[in-house]
Amino acid sequence: MNWLIAAPEISYFASALWFLVLSLAAKPDARREHRTSLLLGGLGVAICTVSIGQEGYLFTRAFRVDLFSQVFKELLSLSLFLVLTLCGKMRDLRERHRHDFYVLLFVCTLAMMLLVSADHLLALFLSLELSSYSLYILVAVRRDQRFGTEAGIKYFLVGTFASAVMLFGLALLYASAPATYLSDMARAPSGMAERPLAFLGLLMTLGGLFFKLAVFPFHFWAPDTYQGAMNQVAAYIATASKVAAVAVMVRVVALAGQGSAHLVQILAVLSIMSMTVGNLAAIAQKDLKRLLAFSTTAHAGYVLIGILAVNESGYAGAVFYAMALLLMKFSAFLVVTVVAGDGKNLEVEDLAGLHRRSPILALTLMVSLFGLAGIPPTIGFTAKFLVFVAAMERGHFALVLIAMINVVVSLYYYLLVVKAAYLTEPREETGPRAVSLSTRILAGALASGMVVAGFFPTYLMELADSAVQVLLSGP
Amino acid sequence: MHLTYADFPYLSAILFSCVAGLGVILAVPDERKDLIRKAGAVFSGATLFLSVSLFVSYDRHLGGLQFVEKIAWIPSLGIHYFNGVDGFSLPNLLLTGIVFFTGVLTMWGMESRVKEFYALYFVLVTGVFGLFMSMDLFFIFVWYDVSLFPMYLLIAVWGSTRKEYGAMKLTLYLLAGSALILPTVIFLFVRSGLNTFDVVSLMQSGVFTPQDQKFAFLLLYLGFGILAGVWPFHTWSPVGHVAAPHAVSMVHAGVLMKIGAFGVLRVAVMLCPEGWKQWADLMALLAACGILYGALVGLRQTDLKYVIGYSSVSHMGVVGLGLSTVTLEGLDGAVFQMFAHGVMTALLFSSVGYIYDRTHTKMIPELGGLSRVMPVASAYFIVAAMAGMGVPGLACFWGELVVFIAAFKVYPVRGTTAVLALVVSALFMLRVVQHTFYGPPKEEYAHLPDISLVQGIPRMILLAVLLLFGLYPALLFDVIQTASVPFMVGLSR
Repeated sequence: MNWLIAAPEISYFASALWFLVLSLAAKPDARREHRTSLLLGGLGVAICTVSIGQEGYLFTRAFRVDLFSQVFKELLSLSLFLVLTLCGKMRDLRERHRHDFYVLLFVCTLAMMLLVSADHLLALFLSLELSSYSLYILVAVRRDQRFGTEAGIKYFLVGTFASAVMLFGLALLYASAPATYLSDMARAPSGMAERPLAFLGLLMTLGGLFFKLAVFPFHFWAPDTYQGAMNQVAAYIATASKVAAVAVMVRVVALAGQGSAHLVQILAVLSIMSMTVGNLAAIAQKDLKRLLAFSTTAHAGYVLIGILAVNESGYAGAVFYAMALLLMKFSAFLVVTVVAGDGKNLEVEDLAGLHRRSPILALTLMVSLFGLAGIPPTIGFTAKFLVFVAAMERGHFALVLIAMINVVVSLYYYLLVVKAAYLTEPREETGPRAVSLSTRILAGALASGMVVAGFFPTYLMELADSAVQVLLSGP
Repeated sequence: MHLTYADFPYLSAILFSCVAGLGVILAVPDERKDLIRKAGAVFSGATLFLSVSLFVSYDRHLGGLQFVEKIAWIPSLGIHYFNGVDGFSLPNLLLTGIVFFTGVLTMWGMESRVKEFYALYFVLVTGVFGLFMSMDLFFIFVWYDVSLFPMYLLIAVWGSTRKEYGAMKLTLYLLAGSALILPTVIFLFVRSGLNTFDVVSLMQSGVFTPQDQKFAFLLLYLGFGILAGVWPFHTWSPVGHVAAPHAVSMVHAGVLMKIGAFGVLRVAVMLCPEGWKQWADLMALLAACGILYGALVGLRQTDLKYVIGYSSVSHMGVVGLGLSTVTLEGLDGAVFQMFAHGVMTALLFSSVGYIYDRTHTKMIPELGGLSRVMPVASAYFIVAAMAGMGVPGLACFWGELVVFIAAFKVYPVRGTTAVLALVVSALFMLRVVQHTFYGPPKEEYAHLPDISLVQGIPRMILLAVLLLFGLYPALLFDVIQTASVPFMVGLSR
């Protein structure tokens, strides 16, 4: 076995160990730890970038390393690094928990990296559980006992339920295939997904992933968890966790091949419900993180449109959508975290007068929200466009129309946030907000990145395309 | 369609001067308001110059699509950066240049958040220019939305009279239009099987089955029609016009509503001619309703801007009526009316802007006798109002005349109703003029200064354009016919 192809995983494992050792030995020093984490996170991004062309198998084919998994590892390392940039001031985290916080973040990223390359059912399940358990603790670790603990327990209960469903689904898949490798199942005679047992297994397996992606009806944890978790952790869940979920979902649905009409119908219903429920519920939200949580559910619906097209362009669209979501959601959370400053939750009306307090943050917020709504020329529009084209190729006109109507609904609450940032005057006069230069540069880079990637999406599209081609062509 | 490639990328230069203007405005610090305004004037002036030179140098004998620029943008989906000018888009580009520049001048006196205003205004106009010149469905949609999203902030921040309500209503209505357009555009893309968004390739006959055309046309007509103020989807328009700041009202009523009508023409009519024939009856009905409804409701308004808003609904109905005739004259008249109405409405809003900035009211009962206080400013409004009534010698006359001649032949009853409605609209315009500018002057406005020569420049430009095309309509009709004649000939074959 060539250990070099596991370089990203090894690097994240070592980073986690490093923080574990640090927690035993060194005296706590917030600044130093943050710098170390940034360094290690940056190193991880670099390693993932270098090893993007790697191919091969790990641990007797339990993990398959190919362009598909490497692209997602790159995205995951990127989202960890971005989230780490927000961790400079964590006032709502106890000092003695800080090391654990970093350990868990790195472990969780490691688990997701294993998840996106898992080919064996057991490897898939174990890495999913590892990432989930890290997240349960990360959510509950917040100093605010009331919110943090409640959110952690809720997340844990719904999560374990989803895991149980998924485990049962995996068992059924094995019973009907009978194989324990996803790539072996994909080679099973076509029409396998039409068999009731296999179909049920596939659906229940997807159920566990629906939970991760916050698809209706597995979305109930999202608003409470986002609200109760630290802003940084919520940002991590909204970006990395979703990216990983999209990857596994594409892998699992690709098993069904072009065959299963029932699966497509069910996914279409779930997609419509997710979009509609997410968008309608988001309208009523006052807490910005809850609003973003419901919008996540809506976005899960849009991603499903790409996946349920069950063709190459649909999967590629979903992968592109994951990239876009990473960028847009993180930008929104960047603004939330920086504006909240002291780690409190942020109400929409707390944004009042942001355009004067910090023009660059207001601009970044506006671009990310328009992106989330899917207004060109942002990357969010391109992503929607790609999944719509894929769905239309399969003749889902009504689905695309419903999705577009949902876009109109979603624009309403995004505009309310934009209005708060640009129009509403704060109740008490606050001076300009001191935002560090590095944050301003990051915000500016994200805003321009969203627009530039929207205007010139060709490179990212080709990357997503070739990743999906590798996935579909098999070993 | 005949394509002539450009030696010099005029069209990209127009977009570039918008984007460069945006960049310069963003780079200037907030406090240098005068510099920002000057930068705005210089760059919008450049686009005006470019669009005028485009209008002049378009080869009328050659016709077809000229100044073409085509670069593959996203090859895997057949998306091209494909710009070109034909007889339909040329008048609209000229109109946009004129309204853009005069709008910048009209807002010269504004003091609040100048930088943000001009930045958003430039984004808005970039989208409008892009849409008129683009020949690629993907880009047409992108530009459509680019021109919509700055509207919300432009109205909600700098507007007046229920501005947040007006801004939200307008944005959601127009986005609802795009919710119909995007699925239909993708539907056409998939159905063509050509893997291209290029309008010129897609408009060849036989690409779409008649059934697809009928289906797609209806959705496209409704989607773009919302933006064109087609009755009964017009309700955003008066509210939005009233709430918007003057320059935005000018662009909005003057140009943005034309985007809707232009979209119906460029996308719906040109790609789905079978659908056009099929649904022409419905279009005529809605257009006649709009003309009548706009005129009757306008009669009851007491707010100057509402009056103009409803007259826009009425006048855009004329454009719709022209399109619905499926005849050469109707098409010519509709495009002419798009141009003429744009200039006329811009002049109306620009004049109201001056009056409102001085008197701080746009309620007709509170005004009166203004022609004695500010004779020149009043004259601008009165001339524009006369243009709106269709007085010969001003540009609107020709558009309406040609459309009505065509409409009488095809739809006698609806045509007659529409003409009667125009009499009503003349009545309400005269009533507004009478109550606002004549009668006893109000004490409190007696000291107000009249419009100065410099302040009058944007209005003079608009007035001159109205007169020029009113006295010499062939200048515009010749251009339009280079596109409409080949299109209608191709259709009858």
